[in-house]
Amino acid sequence: MRTPISYFVALSAILFAIGTVGVLVRKNALVIFMSVELQLNAVNLALVAFSRMHGNLNGQVLAFLSMVVAAAEVVVGLAIIVNVYRRLHSANVDDASILRW
Amino acid sequence: MAPDHIVFWVFAPISVGSAVAVLFQRNAVHSALFLIVNFFTLAVFYLVLGAPFLFAVQIIVYAGAIMVLFLFVIMLLGVDRDESLVERLKGQRPTAILLGLGLAAEIFVAVRASLGLAKGPADFDQVVNEGGNAEALSRVLFRDYFLPFEVTSILLIVAAVAAMVLAQKRERARTRAEAEAFQVAGPGGGVPT
Amino acid sequence: MTRASSDGDAVLRYAWVVPALPLVGAAVNLFFGKKLGRWAGVLASALMLAAFAVALAVLGDLLALPAEERLHVQHLFDWFTVGNLQVAADLRVDPLSVTMMLVVTGVGAVIHVYSMGYMHGDPRYGRFFSYMNLFCFFMLALVMAESLLFLYLGWEGVGLCSYLLIGFWFERPAAASAAKKAFVVTRVGDTFMLVGIVLVFLRLGSLDFSTALLDPRQPGTARIMELTQPAGVYTIIALLLFAGAVGKSAQIPLHTWLPDAMEGPTPVSALIHAATMVTAGVYLVARTHVLFEVSGVALTVVLVVGLLTALYAATCALGQDDIKRVLAYSTISQLGYMFFALGLRAYAAAIFLLVTHSFYKALMFLSAGSVMHGLEGEIDLKKMGALRAAMPVTAAMFSIGALAIAGVPPFSGFFSKDQILEMANRAGYALAWAVALVAAFFSALYIARLIFLAFFGQDRTERRAHESPPVMTVPLAILAIGAIFGGLVGLSATTGRLQVFLGPVLGEVEEHTQALPAAALSALSVSVAVAAILVGWFVYGSGRIDWLALRVRLAGLHRFLAHGWYVDDVYSTGLVAPAKAGSAFLAYVVDSRWIDGAVNAVGQLFQWGSSAGRRVQTGLVRNYGLAFLIGVVAVFVYVGFRL
Repeated sequence: MRTPISYFVALSAILFAIGTVGVLVRKNALVIFMSVELQLNAVNLALVAFSRMHGNLNGQVLAFLSMVVAAAEVVVGLAIIVNVYRRLHSANVDDASILRW
Repeated sequence: MAPDHIVFWVFAPISVGSAVAVLFQRNAVHSALFLIVNFFTLAVFYLVLGAPFLFAVQIIVYAGAIMVLFLFVIMLLGVDRDESLVERLKGQRPTAILLGLGLAAEIFVAVRASLGLAKGPADFDQVVNEGGNAEALSRVLFRDYFLPFEVTSILLIVAAVAAMVLAQKRERARTRAEAEAFQVAGPGGGVPT
Repeated sequence: MTRASSDGDAVLRYAWVVPALPLVGAAVNLFFGKKLGRWAGVLASALMLAAFAVALAVLGDLLALPAEERLHVQHLFDWFTVGNLQVAADLRVDPLSVTMMLVVTGVGAVIHVYSMGYMHGDPRYGRFFSYMNLFCFFMLALVMAESLLFLYLGWEGVGLCSYLLIGFWFERPAAASAAKKAFVVTRVGDTFMLVGIVLVFLRLGSLDFSTALLDPRQPGTARIMELTQPAGVYTIIALLLFAGAVGKSAQIPLHTWLPDAMEGPTPVSALIHAATMVTAGVYLVARTHVLFEVSGVALTVVLVVGLLTALYAATCALGQDDIKRVLAYSTISQLGYMFFALGLRAYAAAIFLLVTHSFYKALMFLSAGSVMHGLEGEIDLKKMGALRAAMPVTAAMFSIGALAIAGVPPFSGFFSKDQILEMANRAGYALAWAVALVAAFFSALYIARLIFLAFFGQDRTERRAHESPPVMTVPLAILAIGAIFGGLVGLSATTGRLQVFLGPVLGEVEEHTQALPAAALSALSVSVAVAAILVGWFVYGSGRIDWLALRVRLAGLHRFLAHGWYVDDVYSTGLVAPAKAGSAFLAYVVDSRWIDGAVNAVGQLFQWGSSAGRRVQTGLVRNYGLAFLIGVVAVFVYVGFRL
C-alpha cells in the first residue's frame, strides 16, 4: 500500500483528542464512557499501524488484548453507572458531587 | 490513485466526522450509533493495514457486543432523554477544546520526528501473515504472549463476577414502618418513583 | 597574717561546723518537718545552741593566738574557675567574723527557743524552723566568707529567706506583697552591689579579702597588687557596695520595705530585721572599710546617709500606732546610727552598737510578740494600756529594752550610743554631732511613747490580757541580761575589750581632741535621754494631756509622720505605677495582642490558605479530568522541549 503509515498515526491522534474533549465536555455519564472507548480505539489503530510499520505482529496482539480489556472494563463500568443511577436517579456526572468541600 | 488511497481518504473523514458527531448529540442513543459508525471505519482501517482478524473482532466484539451493551444500559436507565447542552461550568468547554487541540499537536510533534512518511515493508502480507493472519496471530499469541493471554482470561472472569455483584439489587435497611409498608404495598414501598 | 595550722587551733579547723549545723537542720526540717511535729522546733533550737557552743570554742581558740596572728583562712573546696577568676569556698575566721558569728548563733538560738512557743499550733511549724535554720546558715556564710562572691551568696540567700519568712503566712495578701516588696527593693541595692563586685575583680584583681582589701596606701601593697588604681575607682566601688548595704540595711532611699516586713511572724522580725540580716550592710562596710577610706568621698556619703536616716526614721516612729512598726522604724534609725559611726571612721564603735542593738532590739521585738500573744494578736497601741498589771514580766523586759535604746546608763545602749557621739564630737563634725543628738532625743521620745502607751496609763484594751508562757519569757530574760550587761565588753572607744579585739581588723582608733570633755558629753547625752522620757511620760503616761485630741489637732503632721514622710507613696506613684503600666502594656498589648496575635495569625494564615485551597475540591469529575489533562499537556510540553 502506498498510504504512509504516519497518516494513520495522525488520524489516531485526532481521534484521541476528540475522545479527550468528549470526556471533559459531556455531562451524561454514558456518553463520557463512550468517549473513553473512542480513545481506546484510537490507540488500537495506532498500535496496528505501528505493527505494520515494524513488520511484526506485536502491535496487533497488543491491540487484541486491549480489546479484551476494554470489554471487561465496559462491563464493570456500566455496572457501576447503573448503581450510581439507582442512588442518584440521574446519569448526570455533575450531580455526583458530594465529595466536595 | 491506488485503492488504499481511496479507502483512506474516504473513510478517514467519515471516522473523524462520526467521532465529532458523538460529541454533539443531545440524545445518548444517537451518540452510541455514531460511535458504531466510527468503529466500522476503524475496522476497515484494520483491514487495510493487514489485520483482517482484528477487522472481524472489532466488528463482532466492539460494535456488536460492547456497543449493544451500552445501548441496553442507556435504554434500561432511560437516560436517552435529551440532555441539555448548556455548560454550567465556566471555562470548561473552551479550555477542553484548547487542550484537546494542544494534545493532538503534541502527539504529532512527538511522533513526527521518528516516523517521517514511513512505509511498511512491502512483503508484509507474504511474510508476516504467512498462513493467513489468524494463524500468524495465533502463533505469536500462544507462544510469546501466552501469559498475558491467560491473565486477560482471568480478567474476563473477574469482570463477569464483578458485574453480577455490582448490579444486584440490595435490600436496604428498613425501619419498622417501612417494613410494614413493604408488606402491604410490595417492593417499591408503594411510593411512585 | 595567717599562721600555719598546728594542734593549737584544732577547733579553728572545724569552724565550718558552725554554718553546717543549721544547714543540716534546714534540710531535715524541710523533708521531715511534718513527721517531727513538735520536735522540729527542738531540733532547730538545739542545733543553733550547738552552733553557738562551737562558735564559742572557735573564739577561745582564736584568743589563744597572739593578736597580730588572729586570722585563719580555711579552704573548703574549689567552687569554680572561669578564665582568670578562681572562686573557692573559703572561710575566714578573724575577730570581726567571730563577733558576728557569736551574735548570729547566740541571738539566733534564743529566738529559736522563743519561736517554739510563739509558733505553737501553726500548721507549717516545721517549715518555719527549716527557713529559720536556712537563714542562719546563709547569714553565717555571709559573715564567714573569705571572698566577696561567697559573701554575695550569703547575701542573696538571706534575701531569699527573708522573702520566705516575711511571707510565711502567705494566705494573707498583705504578707505576700510585703515579702515581694522586700525582695524587689533590696534587689535594687543588690544589683549595684554586684556591679561593684565585678569592678573589684576587674580593677583590684581578686575577690578574696586577703588580696582585694589590702590598703594601697601602704608601701608593701603596690608590690602585691598588680594594678594601682586612682582614688576614683575606689570611690565608685565603695559607693556601689554601699548601695547594696543601703538596700539590705534599709537606709534612705531603700528603706520602704522594712516597716511592711512586719507582716511576718514576730520572731522573724526579731531575728532578721533587728539582729542579723539588716546588719549585714554594716558588716559589709566594716569589712571593706579600706576601700571607703581610700576614697574619702564614699565615707562622707555613708556618714550623711546614716545620719539622715537616723533622724528621719526616729521622727516617723513617733507617728506609728502599730507596735511593731514603731520598732521597725526604730531599727532603721539605729542602723542609721551605725552607718553614721562607720562614716566617722569609728568602725569598732559601729560594731559595738551592732552587738548591743541586736540584744535590746531582739528583746523588744520578742516582748512585743509576747504582748501580741497575750492580747490574742492585737497590734494597735490605741487599744493597749496599763498592761503592766496583767503582764508584769513582759512589761519589765520591755522596759529594760526601752531604757537601753534610750541610752540610759548603765544599760548597754548608753555605752554604744555615747561612744558614737563621742567620736562625732571633734573638729569639723559639729553639725553632724548636733543632728545626732537631736536624733537621740527623738529615739528616746518614741520609745518612751511606746512604753507609756502600752504598759501605763488607762486601760484601753478590748480583750483580756494574760502573761506569756515561760518558753517565751525565759528567752526574754536571757536577752535582757545581754541588754543590761552588754556594755561591759566595750566600755571605751579606745580601750574597750571589743574594740581592742577588733583592732587588727578594723584599724586602731585614733586619739583625737574633742570639743567637750568626755564626762560632759556623757552627761549631756544622758540628760537628753531623760528629758525625752519625761516629755513622753508627760504627754502619754501621766494622763494630763489628751494625746488623742492632740493628734487630731496636729492631724496633718501626724499623717505625714505616719506615712513615713510619704516616701513610699512617692515611690508608688513615681516608680511602681509607671512600671506596672509598662508591664501591663507589655503583657496585654505586646504579648497578648502582638506576639500571640502573630502566632495566631500564622495559624489563621494556614486556615485561610486551606479554606481557599479546598475550593479545588469541587466534587465534579469533569473538573478533575480537566486538571488531569492540563497536567498531561504540561508534561508533554516539557518532554517535547527536552527532546
